[in-house]
Amino acid sequence: MTQQIDINEINTKIQLLKKTAQELNRMGEDFPALARNTARILASVKMLEINVTDLVDLK
Amino acid sequence: MDVKQIYWNPVLETLPPEKIKQLQLKKFRNIFKWTYERSAFHRRLYDDAGLKPADIQSFDDIKRVPKVEKSMMREIQGKAPFPYGEALCVPLEDVTTFRQTSGTTGQPVYQPDTWQDWEWWMECWATILWAQGYRPRDRVFIPFGYNIFVAFWAGHYAAEKIGCEVIPGGVLDTKARILKIQELQATAMMGTPTYILGMAETARTKMGIDPAKLPITKITCAGECGASIPSTKRRLEEAWGAKVFDHAGATEIGAWSFECADQPGGMHVNEALFLVEIEDVETGKVIEAPGRRGKMVITALDRMAQPCVRFDSKDLIEWADEPCSCGRTSRLIKGGVVGRADDITKVKGVLLAPSAIEEVVRGIKGLGDEYEVIVEKVGDTDRIKLRVEVLPQAEDQCALIESELVDQLKLKTNLRYDIEICGCETLPRYEVKAKRFKDLRKNEGIR
Repeated sequence: MTQQIDINEINTKIQLLKKTAQELNRMGEDFPALARNTARILASVKMLEINVTDLVDLK
Repeated sequence: MDVKQIYWNPVLETLPPEKIKQLQLKKFRNIFKWTYERSAFHRRLYDDAGLKPADIQSFDDIKRVPKVEKSMMREIQGKAPFPYGEALCVPLEDVTTFRQTSGTTGQPVYQPDTWQDWEWWMECWATILWAQGYRPRDRVFIPFGYNIFVAFWAGHYAAEKIGCEVIPGGVLDTKARILKIQELQATAMMGTPTYILGMAETARTKMGIDPAKLPITKITCAGECGASIPSTKRRLEEAWGAKVFDHAGATEIGAWSFECADQPGGMHVNEALFLVEIEDVETGKVIEAPGRRGKMVITALDRMAQPCVRFDSKDLIEWADEPCSCGRTSRLIKGGVVGRADDITKVKGVLLAPSAIEEVVRGIKGLGDEYEVIVEKVGDTDRIKLRVEVLPQAEDQCALIESELVDQLKLKTNLRYDIEICGCETLPRYEVKAKRFKDLRKNEGIR
């Protein structure tokens, strides 16, 4: 199972998701519902980074 | 999603030990830098030790980082930024959750968390629950009065994250909780060992319900080390006809350890998220080898608002010498958390761990689950009084039970006790952390 998981590919998609959520968050200065919901998404994205991204550069 | 997958994170949980070490070092350097740059409390501590972020390059460097004690946190709190003080590493407006420690060992410590930290708490617990066999089809009942303490909040939300259906049993009384488990056919439950044993007793003696016939198949325990004490675990599993798993966590640390479904006689340390060091209680030297007990110094590697860096937890643990059959590469601590350094007390010149008394009492069949230990000074001599409850069906065997108790206690603790055998339901019952060990000598200023 572990061998079939491509963490580089998953990480690329996580970073895309993060970039989108950050952009939306910046657009929420006068839009609390946008700012706070994207802030929550970014907290979840951080968990994806802990689960995947942090492993990418291990030797 | 494949519910047969045994790991919550199949990559992280099977990472080779050398890669876990790499990850821990990388994360420790990050959290050290984070606290150094954002917390005046930590910066002062590290400056006094002559340490800057660039100095942390190896595990030997980590050993030089000063430890943080609970008493230090108490001192800085109640001040600006109110009420957390100088250890807060994020703007106050980013804090979304307040919890506090139970205050068992003194003034409670406040714990701020951001959304990210709360997600992290859930992530810790999701790893635990998945490892213990929780799956989306489970209906999880939580018989616990949710409140200002962190207990079971993260378990609740982690179970939801996994996809379980969660029933909050908050303000219900014990009988109503048992009836709700029966009515809704709950399959799993979380609670303190003391309360879960008490629930079983209530079901049997006051409701005529055999808890083993209820559909609960797994129980996750927390708050006390009972679920790792073999005789207590046996009682819990027999009473409920369910598998019972231990887990360890703390408000200021996080949920750092868990027993997996294989029940290997110990708990995994979640080494991807925590760095656990074991220190010799006397010398303070780090213990790397299995089989030697010491106190835990722990770092939560990803907790950001009020970081936990080399926290002197005072939990007593030891590394196991065998890997777990489950395939997880994280190390096991043998027998779970076996006690606390500040619970171990000298009686008649002998070191006494309260958990050793529990192991004996709950290993004797004619006795109930509750007991009470009172240590006091009579003249110049320490005296230990042990009060236990005899079960109704064993009332004619009191002499035999007392004799077995005395022998077993002598064998396991090398001490003599004044035994008082009481009738059923005479000793106090507890829902949260039981206070069964009372050292009255402390009140007299004698230690």
